[in-house]
Amino acid sequence: MRKGVESVNPAIELRSLSFRYGDGTAALTDVSLRVEQGECVGLLGPNGSGKSTLLLHLNGILPERLPAGGGAVLIDGVAVGPDSVASVRRTAGLLFQDPDDQLFCGTVGEDVAFGPQQLGLPPASVDMRVEEALMRVGLAELAQRAPHHLSTGEKRRACLAGVLACSPSILVLDEPTSGLDPRGRRELLSLLQGIPATKLIATHDLELVVELCPRSIILDRGRVVADGPTLELLNDEPLMLRHGLERPHVLQHRHPHGP
Amino acid sequence: MHIPDGFLDAKTALATATLSAAGLAYALRQVRAELPPRKVPLLGLSAAFLFAAQMVNFPVVGGTSGHLVGAALVAALLGPSAAVVVLSTVLIVQCLLFADGGLLALGANIFNMGLVATLFGYAVYEACRRLVGGTRGRVAAIAFAGWCSAVAASISCAGQLAWSGTIPWPVALPAMAGVHMLIGVGEGLISALVLLAVSRTRPDLLQGALNPAPPSRTRGFVVLGLISSLGVALFVAPFACPWPDGLESVAARLGFGSRAAAPLVATPLHDYRIPGLSSPAMATAAAGAVGTLVAFFLALAFSRLVVRAREEGKPTRP
Amino acid sequence: MSATPESRSRRNAALKVAGALLLVLLITLTPVSRPLWLGAEGLLVALAVAVCRVPLVPLARRVLLLSPFIAGAALASAVGAHASDWQTLAVRSSLCLVTVVVLSQAVTIAELLAVLRAAKVPTLLLTTLALMHRYLFVLADESARMGRARSARTFSGRRRFAWIAAASVVGNLFVRASERAERVYEAMCARGWKA
Repeated sequence: MRKGVESVNPAIELRSLSFRYGDGTAALTDVSLRVEQGECVGLLGPNGSGKSTLLLHLNGILPERLPAGGGAVLIDGVAVGPDSVASVRRTAGLLFQDPDDQLFCGTVGEDVAFGPQQLGLPPASVDMRVEEALMRVGLAELAQRAPHHLSTGEKRRACLAGVLACSPSILVLDEPTSGLDPRGRRELLSLLQGIPATKLIATHDLELVVELCPRSIILDRGRVVADGPTLELLNDEPLMLRHGLERPHVLQHRHPHGP
Repeated sequence: MHIPDGFLDAKTALATATLSAAGLAYALRQVRAELPPRKVPLLGLSAAFLFAAQMVNFPVVGGTSGHLVGAALVAALLGPSAAVVVLSTVLIVQCLLFADGGLLALGANIFNMGLVATLFGYAVYEACRRLVGGTRGRVAAIAFAGWCSAVAASISCAGQLAWSGTIPWPVALPAMAGVHMLIGVGEGLISALVLLAVSRTRPDLLQGALNPAPPSRTRGFVVLGLISSLGVALFVAPFACPWPDGLESVAARLGFGSRAAAPLVATPLHDYRIPGLSSPAMATAAAGAVGTLVAFFLALAFSRLVVRAREEGKPTRP
Repeated sequence: MSATPESRSRRNAALKVAGALLLVLLITLTPVSRPLWLGAEGLLVALAVAVCRVPLVPLARRVLLLSPFIAGAALASAVGAHASDWQTLAVRSSLCLVTVVVLSQAVTIAELLAVLRAAKVPTLLLTTLALMHRYLFVLADESARMGRARSARTFSGRRRFAWIAAASVVGNLFVRASERAERVYEAMCARGWKA
């Protein structure tokens, strides 16, 4: 789903990004990639391959740990750095893996309001955004509920509402379907399908990738090892097995060259 | 040790509330100045941790069990000012949302457990850690600091009960201190085991205290000296002055002399008789001093028992 | 925003806190020589229970759960100088306890935070209080799960092992709490939080 007039800049661009954690372990090594405006891209890879670390960079969360010369992260053409972090966070919304980490306020409504409040919006328009976002994820009646009393599916949708309330043009999702039951997963999938933002989805849920993402990137040990059309990558069984993945079940009943 | 309402009079409650508010405000200012933004959520999470940790039961004898208070432990893990904020938060939530501890007595409870126990525990921990060194030093230091924090808080609590006129000082002090010299053993052991568990899984978290000073033995000696003189003063001074009323007069009024008061004084050291110490005041002081020494050496021995030699980063002796 | 529901509930909560504090102060100030005054104050407490519509069974359960502390403390004071006053002390303290339990049932953490915010309590303390309340049950659940996992693999009833096991649960709880604090910080930043 492409948005109106194309801007020249890609939505997300990484230029040879490298990152080491404090104890010296290399999390990312020379990662370069581009995601164009309106694209929906799957980010695959085994546990510990650096997916979550990569996603945190898109939001400028690890800036103080970013070593000089460790590459560059550009969001809508703006380099992520101490000065641009605020605007970058407005552009790229991040959905965390554990909804309990992301829902840190006392009630769902307060939590959804957190982002818009940080944007400095007046109370009336904060309320409006909260209502709209909760409506969109189908949780309008649960605004007063404490996060602790929600199901995992409801928690995840509440998190999404919190991200959507900041109206980002890029959505970055970390394992959006982990821990969901089939119904919760289905609801989330159709919800994501209806959001016209650029999306980068890190996941182990290959069926989700087949359904949502025309293009995928495989990350292993902090390096990009493959980047191309989803079906092509997922049908390449040796490639998948080499990087701790497997050919998803849905594809085994499909023709390899077309959906 | 949560004091309920009704046991403190208004003057004590107001005085301790004022002191606690001032102490908490100062700690908040310190934390804001020292704490990197990254660590701000850690305060809330640590308070939640402490609340959950206090619900973990440690079996004692029969069906009874004890639990952690955690003032010294949190101070050792997060540093003194953060610990004051964390403990106060826990006490505020326990009082207002779980009715644990009195409302008017909240100030006194924050004073005892949030200020006295954390700061005293932290000072003892830092001093002992410098004296001994290594992982064993940390474990011994937190065991002793846990014990000291429990006893210090109980003495402060006894002082408040006495000042309120609820329980006279000569009864309150030995009773509270005596009981907590026993309870403190549990507190010290639990704190040490928890610190050891943390140091085995995430040793980097132990360096997380806000102001890690370089280890220096002399400073350790100085601080420990200061603390022990303060301890002796706490045990002795109240008897030297006539406030609130001398032990002898109360004992006479109650109908039991110094002989009967002695078992209350020294619960862990029952049936003691130290020649030349006839006055109950001196006996209390001596019991306190002996108890403290015993606790210190027990903590040292305990650390040798649980920390295996190869876990020591560097040998403490050449 | 003069008459919004939020400001009204905040005023109500502030009234409840102030009322409870006043009542406790009044009971505390009752002279021991005037036990009858306590009867009148008991009626006030009953009135508070009625006004706040606190369900009686949970109230009774909380009071019973917490009463051993009072009994213990009263007994301790019975050993003291004014041995005859300990009954008054126990009654006084129990009345205060009921008041505090009523307060704890009648205000929510959200109202409490709103009251404290209006009272200009430092933001850092408010953040800490809110986060503590949010993650209290999450961590308590984690601790219970770890405890169960431990006991599922514990075959000896020796007290020494029970202590080491319980301590490692508490230690791991701290490690998890610190790791979660990091992630919460990241989640707060991701939505534009400025310290």
